[in-house]
Amino acid sequence: MNAGIDLQGTFIQSVTDLGIPAGAAKAIWMPLPMVLMLIGATVGVLVATWLERKISAAVQQRIGPEYQGPFGLLVPVADGLKLIFKEDIVPEAADSLLFTLGPIIVVIPVFLSFLIVPFGQHILIADVGTGVFLWIALSSIQPIGLLMSGYASNNKYSLLGGLRAAAQSISYEIPLALSVLAVVLMSNSLSTVDIVNQQSGYGILGWNLWRQPVGFIIFWIAALAECERLPFDLPEAEEELVAGYQTEYSGMKFGLFYLGSYVNLVLSALLVAILYLGGWDFPIPLNLIASVLGISDTNPILQVVTASLGITMTVLKAYLLVFFAILVRWTVPRVRIDQLLDLGWKFLLPVSLVNLLITAALKIAFPFAFGG
Amino acid sequence: MLKFLKQVVDYAKEVTQSAVYIGQGLAVTFDHMQRRPITVQYPYEKLIPGERFRGRIHFEFDKCIACEVCVRVCPINLPVVDWEFDKATKKKKLNHYSIDFGVCIFCGNCVEYCPTNCLSMTEEYELSAYDRHELNYDSVALGRLPYKVTNDPMVTPLRELVYLPKGVLEPHDVPQDAPRTSSRPEDLVEQA
Repeated sequence: MNAGIDLQGTFIQSVTDLGIPAGAAKAIWMPLPMVLMLIGATVGVLVATWLERKISAAVQQRIGPEYQGPFGLLVPVADGLKLIFKEDIVPEAADSLLFTLGPIIVVIPVFLSFLIVPFGQHILIADVGTGVFLWIALSSIQPIGLLMSGYASNNKYSLLGGLRAAAQSISYEIPLALSVLAVVLMSNSLSTVDIVNQQSGYGILGWNLWRQPVGFIIFWIAALAECERLPFDLPEAEEELVAGYQTEYSGMKFGLFYLGSYVNLVLSALLVAILYLGGWDFPIPLNLIASVLGISDTNPILQVVTASLGITMTVLKAYLLVFFAILVRWTVPRVRIDQLLDLGWKFLLPVSLVNLLITAALKIAFPFAFGG
Repeated sequence: MLKFLKQVVDYAKEVTQSAVYIGQGLAVTFDHMQRRPITVQYPYEKLIPGERFRGRIHFEFDKCIACEVCVRVCPINLPVVDWEFDKATKKKKLNHYSIDFGVCIFCGNCVEYCPTNCLSMTEEYELSAYDRHELNYDSVALGRLPYKVTNDPMVTPLRELVYLPKGVLEPHDVPQDAPRTSSRPEDLVEQA
């Protein structure tokens, strides 16, 4: 199979052709995808918040934002500007160092996780060998930030909120990791690119969704809990409590939490798309279409089309999942803290363990279908 | 062993049942997405209040006989009736009349009991003011008629529930000549 577009290779090649050494060329290349990813993630968040408002409105038979730009598209911008210009208050008795560090520790790992999100064979920042494992490791840094900000606020509600958030994050990390493990077992690799490649070739039929239906559901539930999305948003239940660990935060520090939670949602949706919905893979195998139309694999137009279609497909799948998360938000009532921990430890954990064992057994029994 | 298996089966049944319920819930919320928003976009669209709407009270100064029945039936004795006895005509002469709409609960008792029908309910409900004392309407302010929504060129009037055909809850896409459910007041007069 042809590798498709390799932007990095082409870029470095063209820069070295200008007479610049290869190492320097690579150094020039490096910041470009990083900045692009940062911008992409932020724009993704803006779109997600807009969707959240519009879809929530539609579900409740309202109109939602309408007059701020076409279809209210400028609402997220207004949000961001408001948060930036607000006074940045640190409570007098708070530990100002930890108070500042908390939101930063929450946000940075989420953005860092975008390293491993592939939009195509070569359209990702780093094809790390330990891809998904890196993501799991990074996402377990988050509870430390939550605890830190809860503790540093010097407020009992914040501290309790922080503890709850940390308890939630930790207890849902395990089923999440176990369901990822089942996928990894099937694709014999932790790398996200390999996981997608293992799913591609048969179009929609090859996606992990069909081989890992239980894993898919567990992963999605656990991901919602990790993002503190509505059925599990009890650390800062909007309608019921003060905002948990976010109580004392305002201005851009609050903005970081807000940004972090939405980036996390988009990231989780992207990862579900990659792990279970075939990533950049088109529902009908593109090779098949190309061979039916009689187009060669190395045709430049085909490659550009494949690459842009790949990016579109990944983003489309991710936003479909975001849509689903918003729909779930207005369908399912919020769980209590004991129900939350019950669901995590007594249901998701054993089920995901059984799922992992069954996957291993199936892999031995039917190596052709389960990546032997 | 059998008991344990039964427990497992029961648990699995429970789980599937709750999954089905969540699925049904999602179907409901998804279905709601296709419905038209019922939002009335207020400053640009306004509902036409029904005939029984209890809005700001209208007062006709010349009809009033200063009997103070309105004050007696008012739950909080709100209307202020300022009169003096005119010895020449041997009748009460009304000087001032006022109602504070910041305190009024729009129960309509005064309108109901007024012997000369000098009090009536209007369809005016936009009573916002910068100062609560501005809501204390004197007899001149009480005598003003509200501006009709249907006459306002800036506003798209929408029919309220009483004016809509049977079974219709949403005023946006109803044709202008669609008949309302109940009879119009003039029809009721004819019937009597």
